[in-house]
Amino acid sequence: MANTKSGQAKENAIAGFFGILGNDIKDIGLTFTEGDWKTKISFIIFGFGSLLRGLWLRGIALLAVEVALIYYFIAFGWGYLSKLGTLGTVATTKKGRTTVYGDNSFLILLFGLLTLFAVIAFIAIWRINVRTSRNEYLILKNGRKLPTNREDFLSLFDSRFDKTLLALPVTGIFVFTVLPIVFMICVAFTNYDANHQPPSNLFTWVGFSNFKDLFSFGSAGFGGTFVTVLIWTLVWAFFATFIDYFLGIAVAMLINKKGIKFKKLWRTILVMTIAVPQFVSLLYVSKMFASDGIINGYLLKWGIIDTAIPFWTNPTLAKITIIVVNIWIGIPYLMLIATGLLMNIPEDLYESARIDGATPWQMFRHITMPYMLFVTGPFLLTQYTGNLNNFNVIFLLTQGAPKTGNLVGGAGRTDLLITWLYKMTINDTNYRMAAVIGIMVFVVTAVISLVVYNVLPSVKDEEGFQ
Amino acid sequence: MKKKLVSVLLTATVAAGMLAGCSSSTTETTTETATETASTAEETATEAQTEATVEETAETEVDPAAYDGKEVKVWVAENVVDFTNEQIENFKTAYPQYAGVTFTVEAVGEGDAAGNMITDVTAGADVYGFAQDQLTRLVTAGALEEVNPDYLAEVESANSAGVVEAGKVGDTLYAYPMTADNGYFLYYDKSVVTDPSTLEGILEQCEAAGKNFYMDMTGWYQVAFFFGTGCTLTYDTDDSGNFTACNVDYASDAGLVALKEMIEVASSSAYQPGSSAGDAVNYAAIIDGTWDAGTVKEVLGDNYACAKLPTFTGSDGNEYQLSGFNGCKLLGVKPQEDADKLQICDDLAYYLTSEEVQLARFEAVEWGPSNLNAQASDAVQANEALAALADQFEYTIPQGNYPGDYWTRAESLAGDVQDAFKTASDEDLTAALEAYQADLESYAK
Amino acid sequence: MANIKTGSMKRKRTIGNIFSYILLILISLIWLFPYFGLLMSSFRSYDSNVEYGGMVDYIIPHTFSLDNYRFLFDGGTNYVRWYCNTLVIAIFVSIINTIIVLCVSYALSRMRFKGRTLLMRFWLILGMFPGFLTMICLYFLLKQMGLTQAGAVPGLILVSVASSGMGYYVCKGYFDTIPKALDEAARIDGASRARVFFTMTIPMSKPIIIYTALVAFMGPWCDYVFASYIAFGHDSSYNVAVAMQRWMVVGDYQGYFTRFCAGGIVVAVPVTILFMFLQKYYVEGVTGGAVKG
Repeated sequence: MANTKSGQAKENAIAGFFGILGNDIKDIGLTFTEGDWKTKISFIIFGFGSLLRGLWLRGIALLAVEVALIYYFIAFGWGYLSKLGTLGTVATTKKGRTTVYGDNSFLILLFGLLTLFAVIAFIAIWRINVRTSRNEYLILKNGRKLPTNREDFLSLFDSRFDKTLLALPVTGIFVFTVLPIVFMICVAFTNYDANHQPPSNLFTWVGFSNFKDLFSFGSAGFGGTFVTVLIWTLVWAFFATFIDYFLGIAVAMLINKKGIKFKKLWRTILVMTIAVPQFVSLLYVSKMFASDGIINGYLLKWGIIDTAIPFWTNPTLAKITIIVVNIWIGIPYLMLIATGLLMNIPEDLYESARIDGATPWQMFRHITMPYMLFVTGPFLLTQYTGNLNNFNVIFLLTQGAPKTGNLVGGAGRTDLLITWLYKMTINDTNYRMAAVIGIMVFVVTAVISLVVYNVLPSVKDEEGFQ
Repeated sequence: MKKKLVSVLLTATVAAGMLAGCSSSTTETTTETATETASTAEETATEAQTEATVEETAETEVDPAAYDGKEVKVWVAENVVDFTNEQIENFKTAYPQYAGVTFTVEAVGEGDAAGNMITDVTAGADVYGFAQDQLTRLVTAGALEEVNPDYLAEVESANSAGVVEAGKVGDTLYAYPMTADNGYFLYYDKSVVTDPSTLEGILEQCEAAGKNFYMDMTGWYQVAFFFGTGCTLTYDTDDSGNFTACNVDYASDAGLVALKEMIEVASSSAYQPGSSAGDAVNYAAIIDGTWDAGTVKEVLGDNYACAKLPTFTGSDGNEYQLSGFNGCKLLGVKPQEDADKLQICDDLAYYLTSEEVQLARFEAVEWGPSNLNAQASDAVQANEALAALADQFEYTIPQGNYPGDYWTRAESLAGDVQDAFKTASDEDLTAALEAYQADLESYAK
Repeated sequence: MANIKTGSMKRKRTIGNIFSYILLILISLIWLFPYFGLLMSSFRSYDSNVEYGGMVDYIIPHTFSLDNYRFLFDGGTNYVRWYCNTLVIAIFVSIINTIIVLCVSYALSRMRFKGRTLLMRFWLILGMFPGFLTMICLYFLLKQMGLTQAGAVPGLILVSVASSGMGYYVCKGYFDTIPKALDEAARIDGASRARVFFTMTIPMSKPIIIYTALVAFMGPWCDYVFASYIAFGHDSSYNVAVAMQRWMVVGDYQGYFTRFCAGGIVVAVPVTILFMFLQKYYVEGVTGGAVKG
């Protein structure tokens, strides 16, 4: 039942997409056939119609974009785009003792993709250009008045204010986030690793062979290690999120309790962990717990223990220590959030509960907790996905140690997927496998988010909260 | 009121900071980039010209103008930055044609240097120091140029044979040997460790005194045990740095003895993993290299002493001497597109690894020279740490080329030694050694 | 009867409070202990004539000295330069980030345009990709613009700022709580969207602006991985995290532990001061926005 439903929805979406596309093409055709000569020339020279109709502001803007993009294609982009299929064929050679570099597969892939983005942008702007021209034509045809340049300009701060606000952020995200991510996904389908390192060596497309490596469960296959690391990643994120959450609320309630003085002082002490950069505090804590660190040192000196406690060398103990240290980091954030929220709970709820003779524990269970869980649902989800990718804590505390021969690719017992793939890129320059694991991290995060997101009550209706 | 005061204070410090350091920095960077672009333009312009005349310049008198304005970037370890700057001044005097060349020296540690070179060869240094274990990785990534044929014979004859071998991949020498002290030996506290000849004795004395014994068990150090009991581990490479074969016999009785000894050492309450004197706490003995001599001296003071590595009695009742690697630090030249610049880099690398400079470097920072004459000098002979290292080198093997995967995998074994292996039976250990050997063999294809 | 009851309750509460205080003091001790250790280490001289700069097994130095701090500021290292770099990055990122986040949040909260939900969903999905892999890609993009090594400081600002639009959740959540009726009333009076944004929304959003700026300001102080990737081999464009991390992990720096601690303390000062005084806004911002977004 659910299956057919989602299947239908998918079909609808696809049909809808093609419907829109079809309408669009029809619209473009109409624009051309019905349009006057100004509109027709606009198909090649952007903004031509607008310019001749006196709307020089948008005309020049469109024309400038066209000129800039075409210049980019000719001067820079085409050289890379044309080689995208092979990722370069000219090998690096020696001429006497000097080196003559051949094609650089990395740059071809990167700037080839960038050019591809530019092509898409070009088409989109062309479409806007055609639509603008048609609109202007229709307005004139129906005998209405075109907006003046001044009105055109001012609309950017009123009816079209969203475009003004979003233009820069969206462009930035496309170039510095979307492009690199697409690049990374592409790398998963190449053989880019230590033996195929530009600029001296070429790399090329290899299809799905890296994914096969990941799911091969032999002695040297990545499969077993991937599963082990994945499980620990999920377990870690669970504990890191929920222990911090409950303890954070508890500490907040402790501080907010009636009759406790110096509330601000207690809060400020805790908040220090947020303010002091983690690369300082965590490195210090990591040294503190080392087998020759001060904790073991003092315990030995005082005769409490005979041999050092292997905080970082015993896998189970290392995992527990990490989670404990993470409490130290996590509680202050949650304490702050909980402090704000607890004040929002209507006092009369507690009042009436007290009259009914409820114990503090009952009040906590039946009033505080349900309220907190409801309000913080989406926050908990982002915390969880954030912890899945919590690089700093693991990297600064253990760097994944203790290591073991049972895991391949340099993974340690406390490595998360994210630290594992970091090691792969830095130590082994194994970009192809790192990219595959990166994609898997995405899949895991996305699946968890999707499932939880659909279950949460408080995110059902965005508008309802306003 | 208070809030206002703080914000005023903050803005004041921010503004002061920006005025003090940062305003000058911006102008500096702009000029830097400007000269950089200018020089690259110049390079491309002169390239065509120099290629045509490259053969002539080799024969005839060099035209100093050809080198003017070129920039050469040098990466060395932090503690020799000042030393290298001084030596480059001497270099300019010795080679007057390079007076117009700009040399910049940056502190990039030997470990980082290789990683950074591989990230982006084009932005990396033109001449850089690195430890031997990075050699194949750098050659595969195309970050090393072969040693200039004009200097080849001299470099090969002037330096100790093992060190020259260490700079080779296949039959090609890829880097200029700089030091021959990349090995480890024992530093100890005379007042605690009276007899440094046996490992058992050292551990016992450390335990009794409540002091620590530091020894790493990662790839570079664990071979002390394996080679000590007679095992071998070497890799064969072809000319382009690919590993073709692995010669290993860890999965043997000798291997088991070595592994069990490692576990026994790791089980001692005095044992601490680590080989960095600055991070070591409360130690009476540490297995470390010459580069930490100063730090150890500082801590142990009058009780400072060093010796070759101790012997140990294996689980089979035999006595074995701890072995290890003898390796070196090398100076590499990046492949260049410009013949003139390559010439500068070659000359500089050759100069910085010459006998005099190696001796001067020893005097400045106590790095043991690889040059035979320099090694024979009185000052070097008299150095305690280097003497201990020389004693130890009688029991070690020259460090050849090892794949990067080896170091990673060996670290995993070290992790197991400190944890899971402590309670494992002989059968488990044998199985673990077999798996280890299989993995090591799989890195050569 | 009633008197006795309240009396016993009072006693119970006092006992409860005493217990709470003990717990709070215990918590405070645990939370402050690492900072105490850090501070103490920073006062231990690295000069071998006085004490020792490496790791030791005691906390309180035998002699208190300011050698480490002197080392940082006497020009022997580029510490001041690194500090400045980080400060400049933090200030620029903090300002530009806040502007961008405000713009994006306003557009997404107040305006309804084609593709709005699509855009939000798309950004949500983008956020699930691990960022590390894109480092090498960003490095070469920046290199093309000349913003690596010598130009790493503007490069780092550019990268942090470029993707900041995706961090709109908290701020949008806050904007969503400001009644829309206010906007509409102003618009009926003839105010443009931009006018509403600048004269009404922004003045009402002080907590969230401070929150956003504060979070953005703190980021660059911890940025080690990406910054070292972009600035490598160019000492004068490192930030404090990259430069000081070397003192701990690179073998060439022996006995730099106490200097690292001192450097860390100096780094912690501006952020801690800011945080102590802006804490109130941080709480308001995070509770007003984070949870409802």
